[in-house]
Amino acid sequence: MDLMQKLTLLTEGAKYDAACTSSGTERPGNSGLGSTLAAGCCHSFSADGRCVTLLKVLMTNSCIYDCRYCVNRRSNDIPRAAFLPDELADLTIEFYRRNYIEGLFLSSGVLKSPDHTMELLISVLSALRYKHDFWGYIHVKTIPGASPALISRLGHLADRISVNIELPSEESLKVLAPDKTKQSILTPMAQIASEIQSGSKELAHYKNAPRFAPAGQATQMIIGASPESDFQILKLSAGLYGKYKLKRVFYSAYIPAVQDSLLPSPDTKPPLLREHRFYQADWLMRYYKFDANEILSEKNPNFNPYLDPKANWAVGNIHLFPVDVNRASLKNLLRIPGVGPTGARRIVTARRTGALRFEDLKRMGIVLKRAQFFILASGYTPPLRMNRETTIRALIDPGVFSFGAEQLSFFAPGPLFLPGAGDVCCMDEAVKEAVSCLSASL
Amino acid sequence: MPVGQPLAQPRDVVYIYDGSIPGFYSCVYKSVHARELPLAIFPRDRVQPTLWPQKPVDTDDASACRVRSAIFKKISPRALELSQNVLFSCMRQKEIHLLRFLLKGFSEGKKITNMLGDPDVAPLLRAESHLLRERHLLLGFVRFSDAGGALTATITPKNFILPYIAGHFASRFSGEDFLIYDKTHNAALIYQNGKKQIIKTDGFTPPDVSKKEAYYRSLWKQFYDTVAIAARDNPKCRMSHMPKRYWENMVEMQDQI
Repeated sequence: MDLMQKLTLLTEGAKYDAACTSSGTERPGNSGLGSTLAAGCCHSFSADGRCVTLLKVLMTNSCIYDCRYCVNRRSNDIPRAAFLPDELADLTIEFYRRNYIEGLFLSSGVLKSPDHTMELLISVLSALRYKHDFWGYIHVKTIPGASPALISRLGHLADRISVNIELPSEESLKVLAPDKTKQSILTPMAQIASEIQSGSKELAHYKNAPRFAPAGQATQMIIGASPESDFQILKLSAGLYGKYKLKRVFYSAYIPAVQDSLLPSPDTKPPLLREHRFYQADWLMRYYKFDANEILSEKNPNFNPYLDPKANWAVGNIHLFPVDVNRASLKNLLRIPGVGPTGARRIVTARRTGALRFEDLKRMGIVLKRAQFFILASGYTPPLRMNRETTIRALIDPGVFSFGAEQLSFFAPGPLFLPGAGDVCCMDEAVKEAVSCLSASL
Repeated sequence: MPVGQPLAQPRDVVYIYDGSIPGFYSCVYKSVHARELPLAIFPRDRVQPTLWPQKPVDTDDASACRVRSAIFKKISPRALELSQNVLFSCMRQKEIHLLRFLLKGFSEGKKITNMLGDPDVAPLLRAESHLLRERHLLLGFVRFSDAGGALTATITPKNFILPYIAGHFASRFSGEDFLIYDKTHNAALIYQNGKKQIIKTDGFTPPDVSKKEAYYRSLWKQFYDTVAIAARDNPKCRMSHMPKRYWENMVEMQDQI
């Protein structure tokens, strides 16, 4: 099999992995090849709008496991291939030199045994680091069930190392990934977390101590293949961020790749809107200091399809508004719909030089379409404060209708049962219906 | 200086300078000393026809240097950084905007750069972030071709970002020789034997594509096409992250223009 065919097959097998970031560690170039940027760097964007930053491939798509949701499952009849370690290292170098990529994202099916596969991954990474003197970004997935010594070696070669949690609960794991257990996933995760921590301690003592995964660890789970509620999943990520100090949790909308009686049928559309809401909520937890319990609750266990989680929170806590931009703390500024970390920081800087008026905010690049209903500024009070309908019209996520009616039906019908875009003839009408329905129920 | 009198008063005059950075600072020097605020400042090669009298301003390194150190000391280091960035940006009529900002800065002092909503400051900050954003995008979008060991690339940015990407590429590819040609500004960044320099150039003909180069391009194109998930197709999203004007220089996008 030639390299072109291998690359195609092994990219095909890896592309459903959501993670494609190259952030988390700043390493200036040295005499070898490559460097990394703390903010990461996108090199291209594929036709689905996702960033392409790393050469994302599998070492092999052969697998001894039979996870039901996976394209590479043992029982799936597809052509199999594997890279030779040197072949993959050379390809990475040639792509990197042309500035196509920021580094390598290596994952793999399980060939023969977890430890055997780990040895293969280690041979690619050590060829890159020591034979080619390559110091670009490397993100690697450990293999579930691998021995701790091999995980430790792999982590010392990579920038980021991750274990996929795959599914949001133990029950789903049992049903859909019978070869994996909660234990086999959480044990390496805990080992990585403790090695990262002790690594940074060593570094405080010895400047040249070898670093273990300086960009931290990440994980990903599949959304929409199993029946957990949004609240359960969000609590799980909050726990992972807290307990295992993860840098990122990725959510991947389930894309039916195989026919299986236990999974959604192959003609289901991926729940992209639901996935989008998870990323919004995840951002609220990481950058806006929200707690998972503020975003969702036992009583409201699922995301509102029409409002993004922050707008939803604001509408539910309307008594905390309006917020005075000239006085509020940074934490409270971050609660205003439409104001993000950059905007909030700008407000804090600019108000030191004088009271801010509405026009000042506009010139500073604060997006006021939604914020205008929630703020006080010098000489400004929100218009139509009591008019719920206007507020909600401005808050409705315009993206909701572009995702299509199938997306709305992914949300469990709760007390808030709204018409999907398919039920009404045009966008305007859909918005109108949603507005009247929402403002009545809130 | 009499208290309360502005540094410069509006005057019906247009300054013409040579387009260089010391040239612009010489205009600032002249404006402050002649106590006049011109209507516009144009570089010599882009003079727009006006009815107002034009006044050529000679570039004088000594006065440019004095202005620079005055900005650094009397306003702030950040103000000097901002004005350098704006001079490299593609902002329209950046010279006159910048002059107004500097005059205001000389009277307000260092707090000027925190006055983010001020009508004389906000447009400069916008121009600056436009430049820095384009710089960040191009760190990823530059596409090198290997021509017998040396790497070459062509870019067409709106802002003059070569000085801003030079350090990144020199550090990342410290063992390579490379050239990045900026077609918009007719300049090239050359990195050879560990030394980097930016030169003015009238043109650059990319070397012929070797067999090996064509092979890696096709592998990359294949990877790029394969990694997209058809069920999530979203060309609009791609376009907003990767504006179409960059596509002409990107191997994987050239067939889609």
